[in-house]
Amino acid sequence: MTTIRLLLGPQRPVVNLGDAIAHAGLPAGPVAVIAAGWQEAEGDIDDVAAAARREVINLHLYRRADEVFAADPELLQRYRLRQDRLQALQRLYGLRLRHTMAAARETLRADGDTALVDPEQRHAIAQLRALDRHHLQRVQTLHAEFDAAFDSARHDLLSRHQAEIDALLANVDTVVITGGNVAVLLNRLYLFNLGQLLTEKHVVAWSAGAMALSEQVVLFHDNAPQGRRNPELFGRGLGLLPHHIVLPDARHRLRVKDRIRLALFSRRFAPAVCVTLDSGSVLTLEGPRIVHASLAKQIAASGRLRRVRLK
Amino acid sequence: MNPALRKLFRKGPPAPGDVDAFIAATEFPLVDGSDVTFVWRGRAEQVFLRCWISGFDTAQPLQSLTGTDLWATTIDLPPGSRIEYKFELITAGQRRLVVDPLNPVLAHDPFGANSVCQGSGYQRPSWSVHDPEARRGGLETIRLDSRAFGDTREVGIYLPARFRRNRRYPLLVVHDGNDYLRYADFRTVLDNLIHYLEIPQLIVALTQSQDRLREYAADDSHAAFVADDLLPYLAANYPLLDDRASRGIMGASFGAVAALHTAWRTPGLFGCLLLQSGSFAFSDIGRHNRGPVFDPVARFMNSFREDPGALSGKVYMSCGIYESLIYENRSLLPKLQVQGLDVRFEEARDAHNWENWRDRLRSGLSWLYPGPLWMVYE
Repeated sequence: MTTIRLLLGPQRPVVNLGDAIAHAGLPAGPVAVIAAGWQEAEGDIDDVAAAARREVINLHLYRRADEVFAADPELLQRYRLRQDRLQALQRLYGLRLRHTMAAARETLRADGDTALVDPEQRHAIAQLRALDRHHLQRVQTLHAEFDAAFDSARHDLLSRHQAEIDALLANVDTVVITGGNVAVLLNRLYLFNLGQLLTEKHVVAWSAGAMALSEQVVLFHDNAPQGRRNPELFGRGLGLLPHHIVLPDARHRLRVKDRIRLALFSRRFAPAVCVTLDSGSVLTLEGPRIVHASLAKQIAASGRLRRVRLK
Repeated sequence: MNPALRKLFRKGPPAPGDVDAFIAATEFPLVDGSDVTFVWRGRAEQVFLRCWISGFDTAQPLQSLTGTDLWATTIDLPPGSRIEYKFELITAGQRRLVVDPLNPVLAHDPFGANSVCQGSGYQRPSWSVHDPEARRGGLETIRLDSRAFGDTREVGIYLPARFRRNRRYPLLVVHDGNDYLRYADFRTVLDNLIHYLEIPQLIVALTQSQDRLREYAADDSHAAFVADDLLPYLAANYPLLDDRASRGIMGASFGAVAALHTAWRTPGLFGCLLLQSGSFAFSDIGRHNRGPVFDPVARFMNSFREDPGALSGKVYMSCGIYESLIYENRSLLPKLQVQGLDVRFEEARDAHNWENWRDRLRSGLSWLYPGPLWMVYE
């Protein structure tokens, strides 16, 4: 079966979930829903059911994780230790990133003899990419340490929840992943081994859900109340959407008129393509191929936004 | 003369009925760009405008408008300004201060109420007004036996809506916590900013001193109370994140001195400082000019400025440019920056009052405690 990945922008103000599913020709039947990104509001999926025009089965990953942690203090303690270390690592990375990004940005703004300037710009971006690679590797190490010490068979309730999730997924062809808190969502997806379980399913995802499918998750917000913040590499996604960085709601979160800023974004993460998904956008992949793109844009190396190229 | 007043007087002194109609139809003070006209109506020997703005005469006379019981004066107030004022009336040799009866906008503080002049372009921040969609956080009170003070202290605790024991939260310790609640709409601000995801859900310890001019004046017992009495109690009874970056301390005026001093005395404990209009009296040479109650403050600030020690993390400072303390706050900034601290300094066209501090809370709190907006992609 060629799996379909349907990536959408925020479902407000434009709700296009149902139309996108119909247009993609996904098989009829119920869909599983992962709304862990909504945290305590995970159970409120009536709107998803109405928009999808399908019967929905909530996998309740957030609630299940809460129950597992409440019943398993040892697991909770190790999980928290991992989270504390990841957050401390992210802060250290942010500290280094601030200076490395400033240097790259200022270098990109430099003018003069291109024979002098261009190599400096390339080197500045190379340093940024090296920092990102280093950070990703460190994040992966912390995850690997946790995984190596983690034997799910020793955790009864976790195993039981896993079996229930496996059984629910066995009865559906399509999984819908909502938006929300991308870190919370990813943690629950990893905890219940969804990366593996979703490889053979069609997936419809928007915003944080779409980000979670990529290989690398990049956090960004140019218009937060505390001012601009450098885009940060957060960690690995599920890898179901290779070679793409997903940027939901770019119209509100990115200063799209700042060409230097966008050019740096594009060159920093190349060869991955940075794709914007505003509300109303649709990006359809069959296997690795992009077969349909509506309103989705990609950031070119020049810093301009262009239509996504179909493959 | 203000255009509205000029129109009222265009045919000579208006009749009392015309004055009545004018007052009923007009908002006071009269704001015409940067010209702001204060109007008082009544009988008096003299009327003064009293607004405590550094650089202004503390008492500006209003002129009696011929043939009427109106008095007026116009000041130049830059756009975006917000000032508090009263009228001083002199009648039969007696002086009394009154709020402006023609202006319903009041600001409250522990000493009573002042009238508020909102200059051209000033708007009360929308996030400081209760948002009906924002869930309300809870308030509870703890009683804490303090070894540092040798007595029992009450501390208010704010818990975010949807507080869960199985989560962990950053902590913010607030000086003059009850005053922040009462005069700076602190609970509403927290509820709204948490709802907007601009700050994380956090636990706030609202401390209040009965003797703040002493305990907040760089007092070692107070620092010990926070570090050795309060924090251990909170850590034992509330689910807190246990890292410096998740622990902050704040205050305004003397409260800011207390926050800075406590952080200085407890290196590595607090990673976030929020300092509003700090009473950071100091002297480069000789004595300071702030009065004896500032003596311990000045001793501390002189030491601090000489050696900021192991203070680390992020510092948000704000100050009104109409306060005399703007000098002390501006001159503290480079001392912090040279230490490598991550410092954000914000000035406002306002003075030493609670609504100035309220109006800066969003930028201060969201910068020190970035919310999950960064993580949330709906």
